[in-house]
Amino acid sequence: MTPSSPRPSDDELDAFIQTRLNLLGVDLGVLPDDDPSAPADRRRVMQAIRRVLREQMPEVSDYPLDPIEVPPVLYPAHLPEVRRPTLVQAESGTGQEGEG
Amino acid sequence: MKGGDGDRTESSLPQDALVDRRDFVTRMGALAAMAALTGCAVGREPTIAPAAPASRADAQAFFRSLPRPELSAGRVTDPAELTAWEAGALLRDGDLGAVEYLEAYLDRIRRWDGVYRAFNAVTEDRARARARELDSTPATEILHGIPLAIKDNIHTAGVPTTVNSHIFRDLVPEEDAMVVTNLMARGGVMLGKSQLGPLATTRALTPDGEITTMNAWAPGDPEVSPGGSSSGSATAVMARLASSSIGTQTGGSITMPSMAQGTTGLKPTFGRVSLHGVVPLSYTRDHVGPLARDVRDAALMIQAMAGVDPRDPRTGGLPPVPDFLRAATPVSRGGRPVVRWETRLGVLPGWTDADGETGENRRAFLRVAEEAGIDLVELVPPPAWEELTSGAFNALRLVERTEPFLPYLKEDVRLFGPTITSFMSGLFVSGDEYLKGQRAKLALLRLVMDDFFSQCDVATMESHIPFDMIGCPLLALPAGTRVLRGRTLPGGVLLGAPPFGEERLLALGVAVQERSDWHRRRPADPSEAEEARMTGPGARSRGRLDVDAVERQAE
Repeated sequence: MTPSSPRPSDDELDAFIQTRLNLLGVDLGVLPDDDPSAPADRRRVMQAIRRVLREQMPEVSDYPLDPIEVPPVLYPAHLPEVRRPTLVQAESGTGQEGEG
Repeated sequence: MKGGDGDRTESSLPQDALVDRRDFVTRMGALAAMAALTGCAVGREPTIAPAAPASRADAQAFFRSLPRPELSAGRVTDPAELTAWEAGALLRDGDLGAVEYLEAYLDRIRRWDGVYRAFNAVTEDRARARARELDSTPATEILHGIPLAIKDNIHTAGVPTTVNSHIFRDLVPEEDAMVVTNLMARGGVMLGKSQLGPLATTRALTPDGEITTMNAWAPGDPEVSPGGSSSGSATAVMARLASSSIGTQTGGSITMPSMAQGTTGLKPTFGRVSLHGVVPLSYTRDHVGPLARDVRDAALMIQAMAGVDPRDPRTGGLPPVPDFLRAATPVSRGGRPVVRWETRLGVLPGWTDADGETGENRRAFLRVAEEAGIDLVELVPPPAWEELTSGAFNALRLVERTEPFLPYLKEDVRLFGPTITSFMSGLFVSGDEYLKGQRAKLALLRLVMDDFFSQCDVATMESHIPFDMIGCPLLALPAGTRVLRGRTLPGGVLLGAPPFGEERLLALGVAVQERSDWHRRRPADPSEAEEARMTGPGARSRGRLDVDAVERQAE
């Protein structure tokens, strides 16, 4: 998040979270609202997800990573490169799959 | 040149010194992409493929190189106290039968597992039939007659695989996971399924969060964590309810329980052991490895487990499975054990300055390592180390956890009990953030290869997270002691190596263990008071973990 962006409130994040869950068909309503004796409740789950959105993902998004130096390796088309023989295989004359 | 036995020819070097590690960098990228494209399925049917053949000559040499156990001479009266390699020598010589050995464990399980609760299920009849079968065959395989605990997220034919979760409560696989097939092909005997945190995410709990499994060093105190998520695997080995065990690691689940209980835990290089038939958490981070009594036992286990599986593409394209038994066979110089290969052990800044017993244990470990001929070097972490291994980048793994479990999230979030938040969090990571995370893993791997391991061959680690992220091997070793809640528990150290560096880790570990006794320490059996507290008529609840406690453990 850039410094000039408004910091979303808990209510705004909760609305975002709930909307996303509704779109997917995940129902948090089966959990109790706030019950410390339950394994999980809506209050604690929402709190944890807000932390992911508010603290963790902005750190990832803001991290600079040079797209030339560290290119995305998107497709299995790179697999033929993977199958180059290793030095050990090349020296021993074994195949490209390892010997298992 | 320090260390070694003069065995310095090119072909005798450990694999990490020979292979093209760049292959590994490319592989990780490609596999990350495959995960992004295809996800992974929950509960796929396991497959059968040939086990990794380690030569019988290697095994003979390994067993011949070891001191002979003194079972009949009165040093050890209970075979369950033997390490797997000690028992293996007796089994090979016909001085111990597979059934006799198995019954020693079954006796202890009957007597004590009500307290420890290391097992979800004990497959007594199946184990006995297997041991009888082995007693009628020559003891040639490296795990002949060795009773093993299998973590309950690993498929076992005809035996429920519950993952301690409501989701899998009725799962009875038709086939063994590949790793189980390999262990059985090498002579192993499955004792049962060991306890774990629900869906392999935290210390062992029931699906709704009730604590089940005790730390073997504190059987009357549930507040002393057994480590997770392979809790039962560690407890079973340390409490002498199993000779050895296997666990899984996506975020410390082999090395943390090992350090909590004093087992020797090995997380191998990503792809070294097939994950086919293992309930997935993260396609690009899941690993299977042994929790064992010492380095030699860990070597026996990984030798049996490792190999190519045509139905797990992550196992393909690796260098051949090396001779782990040789790596774990001690060598001597001047009559004293030393490290097999010249090895630089990189020590992170501040690693020995940790508070209290942790710092003392680490310094003691390094003293022994140095006596064993290992060169200690100051390790300078590469730039961006902290950022790329932060909790935020670590959290990106949760996408791979969420995706295959989404149908169950839609069905009923209560199926996840107290682990729900980690399975939901992946729904709130955007595609670009996940892709950034995969790129960051490649950046971290390059830093580790080009910078970290240009300075050393093995490194001390503060945390499992960096090498869980990038698939490098980790070894947890017992070292020293620590006091917690009035009890003396094992201390431990964590070491990391570059891809395919398992031999280096094993060689270093066995050299240290030959010069120390930390790995030989065993906890006493539960006292009468502890037994009454945990299993008697007035037994108290072991407590429970809720969603917040599970979240804190994950952090």
